[in-house]
Amino acid sequence: MSPLWMVRRIGFYVLITLVLAFFAVPMLWLASAPFDSKPGLGLRWPDWTFANVAATFEHPYALTSLVNSLVLCVVATVVTTVLAALAAYALSRVRIPGRDLLLYLLLLLSSVVTGTAAMVPIFVMMLQLGLINSQFGTALVIAGGMLPAAIFILKDFMDAVPRSYEESARVFGASPWQVLGHVVLPVARPGVATIFVWAFVNAWGNFLLPFLLMRDVGQQPAAVLLRTLYDEGGSANLTVIPVFSLLYSIPVVVLYLFVSKRYGFRFHGGIKS
Amino acid sequence: MAGITIEELSTVYPNGVRAVDALDLEISDGELFALLGPSGCGKTTLLRTIAGLEAASDGAVAIGERDVTRLQPGDRRIAMVFQDYALFPHMTVAENIAYPLRVRGAAKSVQHETAVRTADGLSLGALLDRRPGQLSGGQQQRAALARAVAASAEVLLLDEPLSNLDARLRLEARTFLKKLQRELELTTVFVTHDQAEALALADRIAVMDAGKIRQLGTPREVFQRPADTFVANFIGSTPMNLVPRGDVVVGVRPEYLSPAADGLFTGSVSIVENLGVTSLVTLDCGEDQIGYIVPEDDEPSVGTTVTVDAPPARVLRYDKETGLLVR
Repeated sequence: MSPLWMVRRIGFYVLITLVLAFFAVPMLWLASAPFDSKPGLGLRWPDWTFANVAATFEHPYALTSLVNSLVLCVVATVVTTVLAALAAYALSRVRIPGRDLLLYLLLLLSSVVTGTAAMVPIFVMMLQLGLINSQFGTALVIAGGMLPAAIFILKDFMDAVPRSYEESARVFGASPWQVLGHVVLPVARPGVATIFVWAFVNAWGNFLLPFLLMRDVGQQPAAVLLRTLYDEGGSANLTVIPVFSLLYSIPVVVLYLFVSKRYGFRFHGGIKS
Repeated sequence: MAGITIEELSTVYPNGVRAVDALDLEISDGELFALLGPSGCGKTTLLRTIAGLEAASDGAVAIGERDVTRLQPGDRRIAMVFQDYALFPHMTVAENIAYPLRVRGAAKSVQHETAVRTADGLSLGALLDRRPGQLSGGQQQRAALARAVAASAEVLLLDEPLSNLDARLRLEARTFLKKLQRELELTTVFVTHDQAEALALADRIAVMDAGKIRQLGTPREVFQRPADTFVANFIGSTPMNLVPRGDVVVGVRPEYLSPAADGLFTGSVSIVENLGVTSLVTLDCGEDQIGYIVPEDDEPSVGTTVTVDAPPARVLRYDKETGLLVR
């Protein structure tokens, strides 16, 4: 218990407290500001009220945008998960020359293709396809951007499913779809669950693509609408923003808790046999 | 119930390796047949080609009267147990056993009934609700066998069925497997690299090397009269003595040699290895090392000179060039 030891301990705890505060303060704001009669950008003990909640529910686009977000995300996530699972399984099992190169190229290019660099071509393409203001079209573009990474991660899970499982099912007469449905997907389930949540969270937070492709304010998802929540004076609408932020964060948290409890997360393949 | 007929069968991998090379083989109905050989000899590929998991490049496979060469594995009426058992980890033992019926669309009640009946037959009755991860190695093996039995196939294929078990359990499982096969009277082909396993279990053994069968026969034939020096070397828990003498190679099993006043080999004892009830004695005979087996408490001391001999019928002669048995 030397003095030096004490000083180091105290210093350590101060540091930890600062780091903790950095992450905790925004969370506390999110918990308190929605129910404060005069919400500000600072953190304080709220003067409890539900007026902000009522105001948010009366906002012409707030709830619609959350529904839009849900539709957009569910479509993008389902498309990504289903296609990634099928593609990862095929790429894991079928030998084609240059397969690994193909995967790495896809992964490399995907960040370019749906990123800022391709904004103009994507917009022009979607305009000519008549898919501007289309939830489905936007969801497809988002899914396209997520697919390479999803395939890449899921392939690792598929690689870890022993071939003998599939061969065993085949010997007993299972068709390729039965092999996939009865054996491969259930065994790779933690991977599929991880990809599902990852895709949902990514799509939920995606701002750029809906911002570009959804010109009609009634169609815009929450991530885009949040940017337009100003009052007449041009400053941030602090009656609506806190409640809206809280509502915006709920689905992701709920999904995470549900999937984590039900399936558990893993970011690599490998099953205990 | 059906035998297996294999004609001129070749399986060539894309990289050009002829894993099975123009092979002919007839396995009779109800037989327990071993494919034996060192790793890479093509025995597993042959089994997988019979199963349809590898495509035959040439030749034909027939089960009973049916030519199955171009059929999918699921249409061949075979059951297979894999080396790692390939029990599905997300299903219970009951679901695993009933899986062949589930694929065929049998009713849930029929599936359950079959699982219970089959599991009882293999003393797995108490484990039906467990998952494979909660079973011991021996129980996993029996669950995999039960699933194969539930498929009510005409032919049972086993890939290294005992190699994942520890030594003591292996003996128990060996006896169990033979008993089960006798009860079911099911044509069974198993692959092994362990000659003792093949000798103990099989009705007939095919010793394979480089995609071809080197010798086909009963365990006794293969043990007593290996067809060539490769088989002679491979079969037997202690390797056969192979000594060049002029233009032949003389082969005698250590088990058949015993000390005599006058005999085949004379040398000084260099090593004595205890094998339990017996000991393996190694004699230095000039350039050659001769091994022979003595009963316990009868070991000669190191350095003494011993002469050993064998009954004439147990002394084999192989051609020096071809390695084939001369007589």
